[in-house]
Amino acid sequence: MAISSEKPVNVYGATLTRRELVQAGGALLVGFGIAGAAVPKKTLKTTGSKNTLDPTLPSSWIEIHPDNTILIRTGKSDFGQGTTFTAYRQIVAEELNAPFEAITTVVMGDTDRTPDGSGAFDFLGRGTPNVRKAAAYTYQALLELAAQRLGVPKDRVSAKDGVVSGGGKSMSYGELVKGQQLKLTIPVMGDLTSPMGLTVTGEPPMKPVSEYTIIGKPFKNSVITSKVTAREQWATDVRLPDMLHARMIHPKTLGSTLVSVGELDKSRFPNSQVVVKGNLVGVVAPTEWEAISAAQQVAGDTKWTDWKGLPGDANLFSHLRKSDWTTTKVTKGDKSRGDVPKAMAGAAKKLSATYEFSFMKHAPIGPTMALADVKSDGSVHIYTHNQNPQALRGEIAQMLGIAIDRIVVRTFAGPGHYGRSNGGNAGAEDEAVILSKALGRPVRVQWMRPDDFQWSTQSPASLSDVEIALDANGKMTAYQIDHYMPAMQDDRPVGAVLAGLPTMAAPSEKGVFIGSTVNDISDPWIYDGVSVLMERGHGTYQVGQKESPLAIGLRDHSMRTPGQFQQNYPRELAVSEAAALAGADAIQFRIDHATEERSIGVLKAVRDASGWETRPSPVRNSVAAADQPLRGRGVSVMFRSGTYWACVCEISVTPSTGVIKVEKSTIAVDPGIVVNPLQLKRQVEGGAVMGISHALLEEAKFDESAITARDWRTYPILKMADIPEIKVVLLHRPEVGAYGGGSEAANALAAPAIAAALHDATGKIARRLPLKPDYVQGLLKA
Amino acid sequence: MVTIIVNGVRREIQSPADTPLLYVLRNDLELSGPQFGCGLAQCGSCSVLMDGKEIRSCVTPLSAASGKEVTTLEGLPARWAQQKGLSKADAEKTLHPVQQAWIEEQTPLCGFCQNGMMIKATELLEQAPTPTVAEIKAAFTTSGPSPHLCRCGSYTAIIEAVRRAGMIMAERS
Repeated sequence: MAISSEKPVNVYGATLTRRELVQAGGALLVGFGIAGAAVPKKTLKTTGSKNTLDPTLPSSWIEIHPDNTILIRTGKSDFGQGTTFTAYRQIVAEELNAPFEAITTVVMGDTDRTPDGSGAFDFLGRGTPNVRKAAAYTYQALLELAAQRLGVPKDRVSAKDGVVSGGGKSMSYGELVKGQQLKLTIPVMGDLTSPMGLTVTGEPPMKPVSEYTIIGKPFKNSVITSKVTAREQWATDVRLPDMLHARMIHPKTLGSTLVSVGELDKSRFPNSQVVVKGNLVGVVAPTEWEAISAAQQVAGDTKWTDWKGLPGDANLFSHLRKSDWTTTKVTKGDKSRGDVPKAMAGAAKKLSATYEFSFMKHAPIGPTMALADVKSDGSVHIYTHNQNPQALRGEIAQMLGIAIDRIVVRTFAGPGHYGRSNGGNAGAEDEAVILSKALGRPVRVQWMRPDDFQWSTQSPASLSDVEIALDANGKMTAYQIDHYMPAMQDDRPVGAVLAGLPTMAAPSEKGVFIGSTVNDISDPWIYDGVSVLMERGHGTYQVGQKESPLAIGLRDHSMRTPGQFQQNYPRELAVSEAAALAGADAIQFRIDHATEERSIGVLKAVRDASGWETRPSPVRNSVAAADQPLRGRGVSVMFRSGTYWACVCEISVTPSTGVIKVEKSTIAVDPGIVVNPLQLKRQVEGGAVMGISHALLEEAKFDESAITARDWRTYPILKMADIPEIKVVLLHRPEVGAYGGGSEAANALAAPAIAAALHDATGKIARRLPLKPDYVQGLLKA
Repeated sequence: MVTIIVNGVRREIQSPADTPLLYVLRNDLELSGPQFGCGLAQCGSCSVLMDGKEIRSCVTPLSAASGKEVTTLEGLPARWAQQKGLSKADAEKTLHPVQQAWIEEQTPLCGFCQNGMMIKATELLEQAPTPTVAEIKAAFTTSGPSPHLCRCGSYTAIIEAVRRAGMIMAERS
């Protein structure tokens, strides 16, 4: 079949055209088009025009070059998952039947150079990330080209290691595209600058799992080499000519308005300048140290109104209990079934308990920063480190009242954000734009450590009420859980809010999707042997949001394993308590109530790998000697993003001090297909450490006015000396036929397992996180 | 004007003498290894070696570095080459064993803190070539002004990389 511009070729719904013959170079560029009639009109928005400021740049997913190298592009930025550099290369190489090493370039995140938007989360797309389908379409197009060039029917063409063969002839992919300007247009749907971005649609044939040769291998991450050798360009390294350094003077409290700005001491800071817009105050200078010093001087003389509208952390849970949960629609888990009151009334034994989960900070190791350049023609360039650059474009366009296509966001390496910027901003981006616009020069805003703790969003606090009925045989006959959590996703850029500029609405019951106060059930139920189940989610406004004159309060944002962490912790700890009440072993009790083979498999795997002794908990019911460390163990299980997880934590606790030490953490992971065992193991180890940190230490303290955590002393995280032995068991199960995610979940497994281990060791149950020494010490004295 | 020797090169710095060394290294000398993490000597992201000792450049005024030898992440290969007396040709293609081990063990996650981790590892291994796990944990937790913090939780990988770096050093000796 001849391929020409007059006769486009349909490739499983994608369109292949040859625009012209070129003398040299040539490439197969995989772009995108709007899906056909099969896609509902209301979900479609035209995307091509706002994707790039430079129409000559190919908005492509994949480029195959005449020299046999391949370039891939993704809107998702790497935040330490490594997926874009390892798994994505493997997935694309696999679908293309090309060598992993042929993919020499990965372009990610930049809004003018990547096609699909969305955030740095759910990289593996529940088994079908965009790059996989894009590659599958591309492969079919290559077969079409090969059939034409080799003069054989398409079904007689075979491909291996980037070479097509048929009719006794062979040709590399590079030779196939050489001298031709080919364009493949594939169908997509969605809205580029919405949080979820675009999705590739259609059903191109994909390679059978049984033929995989690249997925499953431990390829190394190329960006690690450039970071370790100081060759990576970090967002913190970007400099522009004529750039000013800025430091922000944020309000005194989360509800303070500006009374007067301090006068800049020009004798000390001759090159500095103060910029004020509404309640947003920034100080700029040509050098960073002058900007820092001048901002400190001005801040000391700046007056703000007082405000006390927060409950204070000591009253957090009583405040949440009496908050208004009635105006937001109550959600129900989709497996809810049966007559709960009847089952509870007939229980032989019952557990009724409330579990409390504190605010936590994402706490990136580097505070948020961004460099913005608002040019005289009104175009905006932002250089930063952001989990959702396309969403940031939308927010900046709204803030400035300009078209999205006037804005380019370039992303660079930076500290992990753990979800904080997955809605488009982390704090500094909009402030840099506001200052740059005011000054007509590029401005680099770097938050200081206290700004980052006190003016960023937090992972929301929550409380959960659980009731469990056990029959005379110790079997769970009914389980009811009510989760109460304030809105989890406030994506308003905080600088725009302070400056009084337009933003999206604050979360409310009227909001849609993630801008809503609705608390969805996020923790898939896995104990299908329980015949009566009720899971409810209750939502409300953020703490202090309505009271604050700034409408700010304690702004929340999804954090690694968002929502599910808040729900899995009470569920799993309650199940451990129910097992103890039943006199049953905590792992066997779970196996006895689970029905899915993979849930049971991961529990058995963690039991074997940890050397778990089958017996009921607790191992003792009294604390004999206060200085004698007591040992115990606990378990937790979770299903998230196509992956089954189970974790055993073994701890020691010293009653006199209340200090818990996690001595060993064993995690079993069944993602179905393991794409890259080396990278997955490192992700799981990191998540395990973060999870222990969450469980033992992390709580965003606040008073009636503000977050009082301001540095690493007031918001401690786990230190190297306190890590346990970590054992990761990867269950590679190709028969599942899909790969699940691996960068989340691990951080949420430790908390319920450690609390169960404390119960095992002492007979005392701690139902509030974090398990800080004073809390545990008090509990063990009681 | 303050003179410092950075990665073996004499540099005359015009910035005020009270400027923290971090901003001099990043802005005046355009080095990207040391990172701003806290500005409070609480995390270690900004670490450099000063006369062989790990310091926090975010709280060290330029004046305190006057006449001193400063080594940043960028300078680790040359530091190793000099210690081993490698030829110029060999030096150019040799990474510091710590960097090589960090790659082999695939240690960094986001990597933002790893500058300080590698600087600390270099300081440790120059003094104790075969540290035990307990010694590694102590070095990264209690030996400096604060623990070296990693938010991504790469501590296990760091311990494995330090031990591997020690082995590479022994092999190359």
